[in-house]
Amino acid sequence: MGSLSELACEARRRLLIMAAYDPGIHIGSSLSVLDILTALYGTGRVRFNAHNGLSTRNYLVLSKGHAVHAIYALASVFGYLNLDELRETGSLGSRLQNHPEDDTPFVDVSNSGSLGLGIGMAVGLALGLRLRGATGRVYLVTGDGELDEGVSWESFAVVASYGLSNVVTIVDLNNAQLDGPSDEVLKKGDLAGRFKAMGFFVQTVDGHDVDKLVEALEAAEKAGAPSVIIARTVRGKGVQGLEGSIKQRIPRDEALELAGRLSCR
Amino acid sequence: MSLVEELTPREAAGKALADLGDLRNDVVVLVADTGETTRARFFAERHPDRFFNVGIAEQAMAAIAAGLASAGFMPYALTFAAFMARAWEIIRNSIARLNLPVRLVGTHAGFSDAYDGPSHQALEDLALFRVLPNFTVIAPADSCETYRAVMASAEVKGPVYIRVGRDFHVPTTCDMYKVFEVGKGYVALDGHDVALLTTGQMLSFALDAAHILKEKGISAAVLHFPTVKPLDLTLLSRYARTVKAIVTVEEHVVHGGFGSAVAEALINLGPKPMAIMGVKGFGRTAKSPADLYQFFGLTPDNIAARAEELISLSR
Repeated sequence: MGSLSELACEARRRLLIMAAYDPGIHIGSSLSVLDILTALYGTGRVRFNAHNGLSTRNYLVLSKGHAVHAIYALASVFGYLNLDELRETGSLGSRLQNHPEDDTPFVDVSNSGSLGLGIGMAVGLALGLRLRGATGRVYLVTGDGELDEGVSWESFAVVASYGLSNVVTIVDLNNAQLDGPSDEVLKKGDLAGRFKAMGFFVQTVDGHDVDKLVEALEAAEKAGAPSVIIARTVRGKGVQGLEGSIKQRIPRDEALELAGRLSCR
Repeated sequence: MSLVEELTPREAAGKALADLGDLRNDVVVLVADTGETTRARFFAERHPDRFFNVGIAEQAMAAIAAGLASAGFMPYALTFAAFMARAWEIIRNSIARLNLPVRLVGTHAGFSDAYDGPSHQALEDLALFRVLPNFTVIAPADSCETYRAVMASAEVKGPVYIRVGRDFHVPTTCDMYKVFEVGKGYVALDGHDVALLTTGQMLSFALDAAHILKEKGISAAVLHFPTVKPLDLTLLSRYARTVKAIVTVEEHVVHGGFGSAVAEALINLGPKPMAIMGVKGFGRTAKSPADLYQFFGLTPDNIAARAEELISLSR
């Protein structure tokens, strides 16, 4: 296994292969969240072979479920999926569906796809873990667009009110949502300030610097308070022609060509 | 059960939750600033560590309940039935789709919150929950049945919606049967000319209607279906074969609710002359539910008249 950033690069290549075979994937969003997920999976904080019911383990809730392909790509890099299955992503018979469903592998809770719902789910999980006296944490990864949803802030208010320090929120701040730049569609304002005002321990980091993300995770875990990491990211990151673009779909030939050109070492 | 008989429906629900909390340590309760109004307070007083108030936030309540269920708990989430609907899409995606054992208790249902008017009077909830795959939908008739239904709901595998009234109830089921079975309908009164089918609090009205019909020489069966989904097709088909007509009565809009469920079943079992009695439109502010039953034409007299009319048409 190479360094975490090498693994992330290889995962990017596999995302492009998936995109070549499945026009339904959101490749731009997957590329934006990939380094965050690499920091979580690559350090063993969350695992591909975890099963529900273990009270000592950590949970991952990917609230921006349309980026689930980043998890598939990482799973294949870590040897939990082969390329043949990856190419079948999104097919009717495949368990690798385009949003996390209840039979989707590597996904703790599958109620994402409808934005904002994963946040409440993560909060419920965290309350449940605390009630059990379990030591595990919930890592909640959200987009910035889904922070438009009222239920997102209803749920964060519960995190703050119940002082849930066992949920670590990472916002994939890629400033992109369906109708354009997130800050133009609906102003998010001073996001760090909004969380701070609610009593969160807030850190803002480069969401493509895996080492910095890991440092921020360590600090969040030590905070002993509700914490949020605002990870500044770029949609399409790491792939020429996609980086900084709002493109979510690319033609097959282009995807395969980009995959061939990506050099990870 | 005499103690429960003296409680209001919402108090019966609260008491059942508190008792269930004694029996099972996986039961947790969530409210949306409705601990007092739903009487979930009874649970909170006995099991404070398993009680979560999320504030006036029905959507978060539903989503967080799904998370607690994913962590292995059995959450009961309570708010006004009318406001539970605000979280419908979340209930669909996070609870129904995942088939999680979340129990939603919608109180102040139907006309029971007469004072607060149409904004608070849920007349669409049976329809909203009936269309969701995996959901069991229960509408008890009175406090006794509310208590039993909440207790019995713990044994259901998937998600459950329980419709509960505020304070109005006519104790009817307390001595009618011994054990509440989810999915089972009950013969409240046997008869052979017409079958009056009810869910929820209309049961006592239907029984009164049957007595009015009896004086006119018409034998009316009263079949009570506290579980709207899954509907007891065995009981339904038994009577559908013998009676001349069927009248359904519900404290709910006539579209998509209990009557619709019966009609959908009868299409397969063999259609009969049928009337669906309920509400068309929204509710209205009044000083008591009784005024509203009168205003919307849901009285024993109305039910009897409708049955008589159907029988005469079927001759």
